[in-house]
Amino acid sequence: MDKMVNSCKKTTELIDKKLLTSLSIKEKMQLYFHKSICKTCTSYEHQSRFIDNAVSKLFYGTPKNETSLSKEKKQNIIDKINKS
Amino acid sequence: MQAFQNIDSKKTIEDWVNQYSDPLFSWAFYKTSSKETAEDLVQDTFLAAYNKLDTFKGNSQPKTWLFSILNNKIIDHYRLSSKTTKKTVSLSEDKGQEISEGFFDETENWKSTTINPIWKQDEELLDNPEFNKVLKYCMDDLPENWRFAITSKYLTNKKAAEICQDLNITVSNYWQIVHRAKLVLKKCLEMKWV
Repeated sequence: MDKMVNSCKKTTELIDKKLLTSLSIKEKMQLYFHKSICKTCTSYEHQSRFIDNAVSKLFYGTPKNETSLSKEKKQNIIDKINKS
Repeated sequence: MQAFQNIDSKKTIEDWVNQYSDPLFSWAFYKTSSKETAEDLVQDTFLAAYNKLDTFKGNSQPKTWLFSILNNKIIDHYRLSSKTTKKTVSLSEDKGQEISEGFFDETENWKSTTINPIWKQDEELLDNPEFNKVLKYCMDDLPENWRFAITSKYLTNKKAAEICQDLNITVSNYWQIVHRAKLVLKKCLEMKWV
Protein backbone atom coordinates (compact mmCIF):
# COMPACT_ATOMS: atom_id res chain seq x y z
CA MET A 1 0.00 0.00 0.00
CA ASP A 2 2.88 2.25 0.86
CA LYS A 3 4.06 2.00 -2.73
CA MET A 4 0.82 3.60 -3.91
CA VAL A 5 1.67 6.87 -2.24
CA ASN A 6 4.56 8.63 -3.90
CA SER A 7 6.55 11.54 -2.60
CA CYS A 8 5.69 15.02 -3.87
CA LYS A 9 8.91 15.10 -5.88
CA LYS A 10 8.02 11.89 -7.68
CA THR A 11 4.47 13.13 -8.20
CA THR A 12 5.61 16.32 -9.91
CA GLU A 13 7.75 14.16 -12.20
CA LEU A 14 4.71 12.10 -13.13
CA ILE A 15 2.70 15.25 -13.78
CA ASP A 16 5.26 16.54 -16.28
CA LYS A 17 5.76 13.12 -17.80
CA LYS A 18 2.03 12.83 -18.35
CA LEU A 19 1.99 16.11 -20.28
CA LEU A 20 4.72 14.91 -22.65
CA THR A 21 4.36 11.18 -23.07
CA SER A 22 2.10 8.75 -21.27
CA LEU A 23 1.84 7.06 -17.92
CA SER A 24 1.48 3.39 -17.07
CA ILE A 25 -1.67 2.32 -15.25
CA LYS A 26 0.28 2.04 -12.02
CA GLU A 27 1.66 5.55 -12.46
CA LYS A 28 -1.79 6.91 -13.23
CA MET A 29 -3.14 5.40 -10.02
CA GLN A 30 -0.20 6.67 -7.99
CA LEU A 31 -0.79 10.14 -9.37
CA TYR A 32 -4.50 9.98 -8.68
CA PHE A 33 -4.01 8.86 -5.08
CA HIS A 34 -1.38 11.41 -4.34
CA LYS A 35 -3.32 14.30 -5.80
CA SER A 36 -6.41 13.37 -3.79
CA ILE A 37 -4.49 14.04 -0.58
CA CYS A 38 -2.09 16.79 -1.67
CA LYS A 39 -3.21 20.28 -2.61
CA THR A 40 0.28 21.50 -3.43
CA CYS A 41 0.79 18.83 -6.09
CA THR A 42 -2.68 19.40 -7.49
CA SER A 43 -1.74 23.03 -7.82
CA TYR A 44 1.58 22.05 -9.41
CA GLU A 45 -0.31 20.29 -12.17
CA HIS A 46 -2.22 23.49 -12.85
CA GLN A 47 1.06 25.45 -12.77
CA SER A 48 2.73 23.04 -15.16
CA ARG A 49 -0.11 23.38 -17.66
CA PHE A 50 -0.05 27.12 -17.20
CA ILE A 51 3.67 27.22 -18.03
CA ASP A 52 2.98 25.04 -21.07
CA ASN A 53 0.33 27.46 -22.31
CA ALA A 54 2.49 30.46 -21.59
CA VAL A 55 5.50 29.05 -23.43
CA SER A 56 3.42 27.95 -26.39
CA LYS A 57 1.85 31.38 -26.61
CA LEU A 58 5.23 33.03 -26.41
CA PHE A 59 6.68 30.93 -29.19
CA TYR A 60 3.70 30.23 -31.34
CA GLY A 61 3.75 31.51 -34.87
CA THR A 62 6.04 34.17 -36.19
CA PRO A 63 7.88 36.78 -34.20
CA LYS A 64 5.95 39.97 -33.58
CA ASN A 65 8.96 42.21 -33.81
CA GLU A 66 10.57 41.95 -37.20
CA THR A 67 14.27 42.43 -36.83
CA SER A 68 16.50 43.10 -39.76
CA LEU A 69 19.97 42.05 -40.67
CA SER A 70 22.37 44.99 -40.90
CA LYS A 71 23.47 46.25 -44.34
CA GLU A 72 27.09 45.29 -43.61
CA LYS A 73 26.13 41.72 -42.79
CA LYS A 74 24.12 41.44 -45.98
CA GLN A 75 27.05 42.78 -47.98
CA ASN A 76 29.34 40.36 -46.15
CA ILE A 77 27.27 37.41 -47.29
CA ILE A 78 27.18 38.67 -50.88
CA ASP A 79 30.96 39.23 -50.84
CA LYS A 80 31.56 35.74 -49.51
CA ILE A 81 29.47 34.25 -52.26
CA ASN A 82 31.16 36.29 -54.95
CA LYS A 83 34.57 35.19 -53.69
CA SER A 84 33.67 31.50 -53.62
CA MET B 1 29.20 27.86 -69.90
CA GLN B 2 30.25 27.00 -66.37
CA ALA B 3 31.30 30.60 -65.80
CA PHE B 4 27.93 31.92 -66.98
CA GLN B 5 26.15 29.55 -64.62
CA ASN B 6 28.30 30.80 -61.78
CA ILE B 7 27.48 34.40 -62.50
CA ASP B 8 23.80 33.49 -62.73
CA SER B 9 23.89 31.63 -59.40
CA LYS B 10 25.68 34.47 -57.71
CA LYS B 11 23.14 36.96 -58.99
CA THR B 12 20.26 34.75 -57.84
CA ILE B 13 21.68 34.39 -54.35
CA GLU B 14 22.40 38.11 -54.18
CA ASP B 15 18.75 38.83 -55.00
CA TRP B 16 17.64 36.37 -52.36
CA VAL B 17 19.92 37.93 -49.75
CA ASN B 18 18.27 41.27 -50.44
CA GLN B 19 14.77 39.85 -50.43
CA TYR B 20 14.79 37.22 -47.72
CA SER B 21 17.62 37.81 -45.27
CA ASP B 22 15.46 39.93 -42.94
CA PRO B 23 12.72 37.37 -42.33
CA LEU B 24 15.33 34.61 -42.10
CA PHE B 25 17.31 36.62 -39.59
CA SER B 26 14.19 37.46 -37.54
CA TRP B 27 13.32 33.80 -37.37
CA ALA B 28 16.83 32.70 -36.42
CA PHE B 29 17.10 35.43 -33.81
CA TYR B 30 13.74 34.44 -32.40
CA LYS B 31 14.78 30.84 -32.12
CA THR B 32 18.27 31.32 -30.75
CA SER B 33 17.94 34.61 -28.81
CA SER B 34 21.41 35.53 -29.99
CA LYS B 35 22.12 38.17 -32.62
CA GLU B 36 25.57 36.78 -33.47
CA THR B 37 24.32 33.21 -33.74
CA ALA B 38 21.42 34.32 -35.91
CA GLU B 39 23.75 36.26 -38.24
CA ASP B 40 26.04 33.25 -38.59
CA LEU B 41 23.13 30.91 -39.25
CA VAL B 42 21.72 33.19 -41.95
CA GLN B 43 25.12 33.47 -43.61
CA ASP B 44 25.55 29.67 -43.49
CA THR B 45 22.09 29.29 -44.98
CA PHE B 46 22.95 31.41 -48.03
CA LEU B 47 26.33 29.72 -48.50
CA ALA B 48 24.65 26.32 -48.36
CA ALA B 49 21.96 27.50 -50.77
CA TYR B 50 24.62 28.71 -53.20
CA ASN B 51 26.49 25.41 -53.04
CA LYS B 52 23.43 23.33 -53.71
CA LEU B 53 21.50 25.70 -55.92
CA ASP B 54 21.32 23.02 -58.63
CA THR B 55 19.15 20.92 -56.29
CA PHE B 56 16.61 23.72 -55.93
CA LYS B 57 13.52 22.83 -57.85
CA GLY B 58 11.41 25.67 -59.08
CA ASN B 59 8.29 24.01 -57.71
CA SER B 60 8.79 25.42 -54.23
CA GLN B 61 9.19 29.08 -53.34
CA PRO B 62 12.80 30.21 -52.79
CA LYS B 63 11.70 31.54 -49.40
CA THR B 64 10.34 28.15 -48.34
CA TRP B 65 13.48 26.43 -49.53
CA LEU B 66 15.74 28.88 -47.67
CA PHE B 67 13.69 28.48 -44.49
CA SER B 68 14.04 24.71 -44.65
CA ILE B 69 17.82 25.09 -44.93
CA LEU B 70 17.82 27.57 -42.04
CA ASN B 71 15.73 25.30 -39.83
CA ASN B 72 18.20 22.49 -40.34
CA LYS B 73 21.03 24.87 -39.47
CA ILE B 74 19.22 25.88 -36.28
CA ILE B 75 18.81 22.25 -35.30
CA ASP B 76 22.48 21.57 -36.09
CA HIS B 77 23.42 24.55 -33.99
CA TYR B 78 21.61 23.14 -30.97
CA ARG B 79 22.92 19.66 -31.56
CA LEU B 80 26.45 21.00 -31.73
CA SER B 81 26.12 23.22 -28.69
CA SER B 82 24.57 20.41 -26.70
CA LYS B 83 27.69 18.38 -27.40
CA THR B 84 30.13 21.13 -26.51
CA THR B 85 28.36 22.59 -23.50
CA LYS B 86 28.37 19.22 -21.79
CA LYS B 87 32.11 19.52 -21.48
CA THR B 88 32.53 23.23 -20.86
CA VAL B 89 29.65 24.91 -19.05
CA SER B 90 27.72 22.16 -17.34
CA LEU B 91 27.68 24.41 -14.29
CA SER B 92 24.45 26.05 -15.33
CA GLU B 93 22.78 22.66 -15.64
CA ASP B 94 24.06 21.79 -12.17
CA LYS B 95 22.68 25.05 -10.91
CA GLY B 96 19.34 24.30 -12.59
CA GLN B 97 19.31 20.89 -10.98
CA GLU B 98 20.03 22.48 -7.62
CA ILE B 99 17.16 24.94 -8.04
CA SER B 100 14.68 22.27 -9.12
CA GLU B 101 15.62 20.00 -6.22
CA GLY B 102 15.50 22.95 -3.83
CA PHE B 103 11.71 22.79 -3.79
CA PHE B 104 11.77 19.51 -1.88
CA ASP B 105 13.01 18.44 1.54
CA GLU B 106 14.97 15.29 2.36
CA THR B 107 11.77 13.22 2.44
CA GLU B 108 11.08 14.47 -1.13
CA ASN B 109 8.06 16.47 -0.07
CA TRP B 110 7.46 20.19 -0.67
CA LYS B 111 9.48 22.40 1.65
CA SER B 112 6.68 24.92 1.47
CA THR B 113 3.10 23.89 0.83
CA THR B 114 1.93 27.48 0.44
CA ILE B 115 0.72 28.11 -3.08
CA ASN B 116 2.09 31.33 -4.50
CA PRO B 117 -0.77 33.70 -5.41
CA ILE B 118 0.59 34.16 -8.93
CA TRP B 119 -0.87 30.75 -9.81
CA LYS B 120 -4.33 31.90 -8.87
CA GLN B 121 -4.39 34.49 -11.64
CA ASP B 122 -6.42 34.00 -14.77
CA GLU B 123 -5.19 32.76 -18.09
CA GLU B 124 -5.60 36.38 -19.22
CA LEU B 125 -2.20 36.88 -17.70
CA LEU B 126 -0.81 35.23 -20.80
CA ASP B 127 -1.79 38.29 -22.85
CA ASN B 128 -0.06 40.64 -20.47
CA PRO B 129 3.12 41.91 -22.20
CA GLU B 130 4.82 42.53 -18.84
CA PHE B 131 4.25 38.94 -17.81
CA ASN B 132 5.56 37.70 -21.14
CA LYS B 133 8.66 39.83 -20.69
CA VAL B 134 9.30 38.13 -17.35
CA LEU B 135 8.64 34.72 -18.85
CA LYS B 136 11.05 35.42 -21.70
CA TYR B 137 13.66 36.52 -19.18
CA CYS B 138 13.16 33.30 -17.21
CA MET B 139 13.36 31.21 -20.38
CA ASP B 140 16.62 32.87 -21.39
CA ASP B 141 18.02 32.01 -18.00
CA LEU B 142 17.54 28.28 -18.52
CA PRO B 143 20.51 26.14 -19.56
CA GLU B 144 20.47 26.18 -23.37
CA ASN B 145 19.63 22.50 -23.75
CA TRP B 146 16.78 22.75 -21.34
CA ARG B 147 15.39 25.76 -23.14
CA PHE B 148 15.59 23.91 -26.40
CA ALA B 149 13.89 20.85 -24.90
CA ILE B 150 11.01 22.89 -23.54
CA THR B 151 10.52 25.05 -26.62
CA SER B 152 11.10 22.47 -29.33
CA LYS B 153 7.63 21.11 -28.77
CA TYR B 154 6.26 24.44 -29.98
CA LEU B 155 8.91 25.57 -32.42
CA THR B 156 8.68 22.59 -34.69
CA ASN B 157 5.97 20.11 -35.51
CA LYS B 158 8.28 17.35 -34.46
CA LYS B 159 7.27 14.40 -32.38
CA ALA B 160 9.00 13.77 -29.05
CA ALA B 161 11.11 11.00 -30.61
CA GLU B 162 12.51 13.34 -33.26
CA ILE B 163 13.28 16.08 -30.76
CA CYS B 164 15.17 13.53 -28.69
CA GLN B 165 17.15 12.56 -31.74
CA ASP B 166 18.07 16.21 -32.35
CA LEU B 167 19.15 16.62 -28.77
CA ASN B 168 20.81 13.25 -28.68
CA ILE B 169 18.87 12.13 -25.61
CA THR B 170 16.37 9.42 -24.70
CA VAL B 171 12.63 10.06 -24.29
CA SER B 172 12.90 9.56 -20.54
CA ASN B 173 15.75 12.06 -20.44
CA TYR B 174 13.59 14.44 -22.44
CA TRP B 175 10.67 14.61 -20.04
CA GLN B 176 13.05 14.75 -17.08
CA ILE B 177 14.78 17.77 -18.63
CA VAL B 178 11.43 19.41 -19.35
CA HIS B 179 10.34 18.64 -15.80
CA ARG B 180 13.43 20.27 -14.31
CA ALA B 181 13.13 23.22 -16.67
CA LYS B 182 9.53 23.76 -15.56
CA LEU B 183 10.51 23.76 -11.89
CA VAL B 184 13.21 26.32 -12.63
CA LEU B 185 10.68 28.44 -14.55
CA LYS B 186 8.26 28.12 -11.63
CA LYS B 187 10.93 29.36 -9.25
CA CYS B 188 11.90 32.23 -11.54
CA LEU B 189 8.30 33.33 -12.15
CA GLU B 190 7.47 33.20 -8.46
CA MET B 191 10.47 35.41 -7.76
CA LYS B 192 10.24 37.88 -10.64
CA TRP B 193 6.52 38.21 -11.25
CA VAL B 194 5.02 40.17 -8.39
